[in-house]
Amino acid sequence: MALIDLANPTRFLRLTDRLLPWLVGATVVTMVAGLYLSLYASPEDYQQGATVRIMYIHVPFAWLAMFAYTVMALASLGTLVWKHPLSDVSAKAAAPIGAAFTFLCLVTGSLWGKPMWGTWWVWDARLTSVLVLFIMYLGIIALWRTIEDPIRAGKAVAVLTLVGYLNVPIIKFSVDWWNTLHQPASIMRMDGPSMPPSMLVPLLVMALAFTFLFMTLHFMTMRSEILRRRIRTMRQREASGAAGVATATTGARPGPAHSDTKPAEAHS
Amino acid sequence: MSTLGSLFVREMRLAIRVGGGAWMGVLFFLCVIVVVPFGIGPDLNLLSRIGPAILWIGALLASLLGLDRLFQADRDDGSLDLLLMGDTPLELVVLTKCLAHWAASGLPLVISAPVFSLFLNMDPLATAALTATLVAGTPALTLIGGIGAALTVSLRRGGLLLAILVLPLTIPVLIFGVSAANAALDYSLPFATPFAILCALTLISAVVGPFAAAAALRFSSD
Amino acid sequence: MAMTRKQRRLSMIGGAGAVLAVAAGLILYALKDEIVFFQSPSDVAEHTVPHGQRIRLGGLVKDGSIDRQGETVRFVVTDGAADLSATYTGILPDLFREGQGVVAEGTVGNDGIFHADTVLAKHDENYMPKEVVEALKARGEWQMGADNPAAKGAPAADKTSQAETPSAPASRTN
Repeated sequence: MALIDLANPTRFLRLTDRLLPWLVGATVVTMVAGLYLSLYASPEDYQQGATVRIMYIHVPFAWLAMFAYTVMALASLGTLVWKHPLSDVSAKAAAPIGAAFTFLCLVTGSLWGKPMWGTWWVWDARLTSVLVLFIMYLGIIALWRTIEDPIRAGKAVAVLTLVGYLNVPIIKFSVDWWNTLHQPASIMRMDGPSMPPSMLVPLLVMALAFTFLFMTLHFMTMRSEILRRRIRTMRQREASGAAGVATATTGARPGPAHSDTKPAEAHS
Repeated sequence: MSTLGSLFVREMRLAIRVGGGAWMGVLFFLCVIVVVPFGIGPDLNLLSRIGPAILWIGALLASLLGLDRLFQADRDDGSLDLLLMGDTPLELVVLTKCLAHWAASGLPLVISAPVFSLFLNMDPLATAALTATLVAGTPALTLIGGIGAALTVSLRRGGLLLAILVLPLTIPVLIFGVSAANAALDYSLPFATPFAILCALTLISAVVGPFAAAAALRFSSD
Repeated sequence: MAMTRKQRRLSMIGGAGAVLAVAAGLILYALKDEIVFFQSPSDVAEHTVPHGQRIRLGGLVKDGSIDRQGETVRFVVTDGAADLSATYTGILPDLFREGQGVVAEGTVGNDGIFHADTVLAKHDENYMPKEVVEALKARGEWQMGADNPAAKGAPAADKTSQAETPSAPASRTN
């Protein structure tokens, strides 16, 4: 029984095994190109001078921080509604990556804020809501670690993730709803980006590079999580004989063949 | 819905009779208020300026206090299984339990806040505004806390984790509660705007909280 | 209870929807009045803030108003409708310059001058290569916030302060 239950994650492992070298390659190529464009080839800003270059990593970190949480929220729906066996693995793997990206977004923003605004930190709506996102990532990771049974932990975390998703639109629109010190959106706005192509192109290349980086890290973490659960299952089976089999599977149920490509689609 | 009525009465009875009841929370609230002037110095002008914020933070911490036992006690004695299997929708059961918890532990905080505001040199208008915001806002704290209580119901020592999970979610309530209360101190700030948002947050958490907590309780049992 | 399980479930969802609708109504009611990170010079003029009361003042640094005397800088904060003189001693952020958005924290003294103890520069959402701006300036085509396509909507503080001014009477009635 257990072997059949693991069939779906196995297919995922096989798929990512083929996909990962390409993803790593794409990450390296776009990252090198993006760093060259943004740190060397792009012009200095008329107001900020060379400090504008922090923006090329700060903005992608911020986007990916929200993207990672969105991936987790979709995966939580997958856990609770569709009961897809890989979605809690995906949610668990995305949490530390999202937390790291949020942390780096806060740090780079702070480094930019000191020379430009004149302060490392200010309690305006945008900065506060991103800090709340960071604390929520850490809370989610803490909940994952506290509940031992992965299935039960997955469901509890899914509820928490979905409740916390209310924060993501607040982050996005905080600069429009309130008079914040943080500037409003420059790229995703109704009347087109307020940035010339010589700066927009490096930023978009960096955003692409960070997206590839996220996907690479996410798939790698998902793979090690699947393998960790297998080891856990094997250990339990070894410890308790045949009795452990029923409860110790990864929660995988044999689904239709196409369903194992779903996580890959959702994260791209 | 007499089922919910008798559940409310049972919860109130348990809250009042077990372990010191509501007064533990009020005592903790008082301790927080007393500690602050020692931390920042007994500058009465400063205290009256930040008084609403201190009282709000004290109320927030105090209302987190008993939350970890909200569902755990029922789980320990098996009555949670009865509630789960019962005919009454679990969301309404959770809502009733949260309201009873608020009436037993949140309401005493609201009532004692005007007395404690004397320590912080707050004028009557500021005290009235603060009490109004606490009445409107503390139910939201209990309802949001209910989600955390449901998530950590199966954990032996979930109290600290509960605080970590719940506090970030309560930040909007704190922001709008304090900014409405501050309007009484500084008449250039509007009162109705943050107060309306505070009421809206309480109503939203009255819907989101019970649904999320009920889902978490169901998942923890199967 | 005569209600079936399904009916009860439906009425519960209906009740939840009604509560959420009331909440949405309250938020819409609140949104007619902006919640501000800072107050504009017009707000300060209208409300006659008591001396010694700490406020956050936001607006644009008026053109030609910066006067540096050693460490101390005097400047005028404007939102188009009203002006307020301000003074600050200390290191200013790089972005602090004439025509730029600024948020200052401090108190209005008895002399009617705003004494800032913190000055933060507000950056707008526009980016522009230095060379392009210099070329435009050389040809005399560069105008801050005017018909220049790259500077549309700039400076952002201009927009917000205009949006704020009509809301100020509403906030007083509350």
